[in-house]
Amino acid sequence: MNSIKVFFKRMLPVFAIIGPGIIAGSADNDAGGITTYSLTGAHFGYSMLWVLFLTTFALAATQEVGARMGLVTGKGLASLIREKFGVKWTTFIMGVLLIANIGTIAAEFAGVATAFEIFHISKFISVPLIAIGLYFILLKGNFRRLEHIFLAFSAFYLVYIISAIYAKPDWGYALQSLVIPNIHQDKNYFLTIIAVIGTTITPWGQFFIQDYVVDKKLTKEDLHVERGDVFFGAFITNFISFFIIIACAATIFVNHQHINDAKDAALALQPLVGNFASILFGFGLLNASLFGAAIVPMSTSYVITEAFGFESGLDFSFKEAKEFYILLALLLGIGVVLTLNPFIPLLSILFLTQAVNAVLLLPILVFLYVLSNDKNLLGEYANNKGINFLLMIIFGLISISSLVYFISLFFQ
Amino acid sequence: MTYLSQLLGKTVYYDNIPFGKIIDMAIFTNSSHAPVSKIEIMRGKKKLTISPSALSFENNKFTLKTQHIPLLPYDHKDFYLAEDLLDKQVIDIDGKRLVRVNDIILEINGEIKVIGIDIGFHGVMRRLGLSFFNHPSKIIPWEYIEAFDYQTGDIKIKLTQHSLNTLHPSELATILEDVGTKERIGLVAALDAKKAARAIEETDNQTQISILEEIPAAGFQEVLKKMRSSELADIFNYLNPLKTQEIQKALGIEKVKRVKKLLGFSHDVAGGIMRSSFFRVDAYITVKEMVKLLSEDTNPPETIVVTNGNEKLVGTVYTKNLLGTDPLAIMKDIVKERKFVYSTVHISHIFRLFTEYNLRSIPVVDKEKKPIGIIVIDDLLKVMEEKDE
Repeated sequence: MNSIKVFFKRMLPVFAIIGPGIIAGSADNDAGGITTYSLTGAHFGYSMLWVLFLTTFALAATQEVGARMGLVTGKGLASLIREKFGVKWTTFIMGVLLIANIGTIAAEFAGVATAFEIFHISKFISVPLIAIGLYFILLKGNFRRLEHIFLAFSAFYLVYIISAIYAKPDWGYALQSLVIPNIHQDKNYFLTIIAVIGTTITPWGQFFIQDYVVDKKLTKEDLHVERGDVFFGAFITNFISFFIIIACAATIFVNHQHINDAKDAALALQPLVGNFASILFGFGLLNASLFGAAIVPMSTSYVITEAFGFESGLDFSFKEAKEFYILLALLLGIGVVLTLNPFIPLLSILFLTQAVNAVLLLPILVFLYVLSNDKNLLGEYANNKGINFLLMIIFGLISISSLVYFISLFFQ
Repeated sequence: MTYLSQLLGKTVYYDNIPFGKIIDMAIFTNSSHAPVSKIEIMRGKKKLTISPSALSFENNKFTLKTQHIPLLPYDHKDFYLAEDLLDKQVIDIDGKRLVRVNDIILEINGEIKVIGIDIGFHGVMRRLGLSFFNHPSKIIPWEYIEAFDYQTGDIKIKLTQHSLNTLHPSELATILEDVGTKERIGLVAALDAKKAARAIEETDNQTQISILEEIPAAGFQEVLKKMRSSELADIFNYLNPLKTQEIQKALGIEKVKRVKKLLGFSHDVAGGIMRSSFFRVDAYITVKEMVKLLSEDTNPPETIVVTNGNEKLVGTVYTKNLLGTDPLAIMKDIVKERKFVYSTVHISHIFRLFTEYNLRSIPVVDKEKKPIGIIVIDDLLKVMEEKDE
């Protein structure tokens, strides 16, 4: 009896370390993520699975770099940039992060809007109410309790796996497409590549993983376990993404249907649950959107106020950390306004913001690369060649796709 | 008042011809008013380190007095303002928290010296060239900060180091929780051993583990020895065996024995939360002798545990109750409190005992009723705090 207790005590540290990678990974499959993967499968079938395959390694690599820097230095990415490069570069990177994250927040609210529209509730009612509700939940510091509920509900994506199996996809071809690129000469194909990368490896996720590791006070001793956590998180995220793409490819793409708004993406779930599909899809989308709509504004305010030396974090009261809470309110407000404006359709917000994120990731990757190769900072924990190679590949893939897309805009 | 941000990049002239640009300044860290000791100038692609006395400052312009300036050696151990202070986090002693240095405030008056730091928003705007006023925002005077060396994480300002020790352990604990890994070790090293031990005990569990994992046990022997056995036992559960061995070596056999006794207990029983060091006296000494013993103790306890000839528990006496007691009475006769708990009693039961009988402390005994530790009310408060989190 006593020895069992001791065993659990010894296992406790393992449970404490596991988490950051998996949470960051799950939060990756947010409103923008689900929409992007659905569109990818619906429009291009299996032909983009190779990008997903590559980004799995790239996601694992970037998250590992972030976790490792956090473990060794005990400081967040924003702090490291500030201390090494000074105020000007910090302001530049924070500007980049702010633009990227405002886009992501808008996408999360677009997800909320879409989900409620499935239940015939107008976005003009749902979005502002949800934003205000979230703000007060964050203000009261109750988010940490909710976090687990969101995580539990993200198990909902398992239905995509079953749905994909029901739809009887061409498994051989799907697996083959993972490793053999099948490039379409279509400018939207390149835009979608950028969006798939951008929704998987996100600017906010890069800051988030490092802050999370720092907040948990993990040390070099935990590196092996944390690596496992990060790799598993990257794998499981894209494992789910794989099935979302397959489910859409085997139903919508094969039947030559076209997705006009995010609700149409629910079609992929029809072989499994029939007419119940859109309700199930709406519920999953709502959960993912709410999770993202809470976590992204929060981490954005945290990173930005911290970089400029203000008190930041939910542990402080409104009075102690005014800047943090005001910025949080502003971000939620801007997200709401962008979602409710009549000029941009929700689907564009959900999809295009992901592509913009990928481009904005480029400067962040540069700083990540320089910092993680700094021997003064990390000593023996600086990057090895393999990681550097992966970082360069992802940088190259985003740059080339963006360039090709940009050029193709003029030649059509 | 001048800001460092306005001096960095400023051209130094010789004979009205540009000579180079100021890129950094080092200060004397062992002086209370922090005068600049060295100025680093970039001339072409070469870095030159010169003495501030070689420069004159007039009409907002730096002029080199002679071209045959004596060059000083660059020493990375020096404390450089741009390298070690600007944009870094420092401890605000007065505000008892970590702050980020947005700019550094200097006074040029014959000599150049640092008088404080700017942690406000205007500091950032000035650095970005977006502030058109010499508007100070939030200033902390130089005497109230403690800074770290950027490379090593060590606390750098030797003269004022005692000011860190004026902070309460719980305030230090909050800083330890927030600061980077290198700086965390530097801060522990800068504190008095006892203060460091109390501060580490006050940090959350994850920070405790990370500190004990990172510090070289041999170099921090004193701090480790001053830590409570119950806290150490708790942390040992989470450390890898090699690190535990290293720490045990530093602790010495006696302390390790005490820690090991506590290792087997779980968190929610008396043995898991008790302190293993307590004040124990024989039942047959007189109150007079007792008072003498206490007056020799630098840190007299609140509760005295009284044991008989077989080392078995008789009861406890609160130190305050010795006042006004007949000096010739023996301890056994003035024991009023005879409550105790076995080491395996659940904490919920202990909570009940404390509230029902208004206890301040209770001894913990083994099966033979020999006292092995004590639980004071602070320990219970800590349990509540941890549960709340």
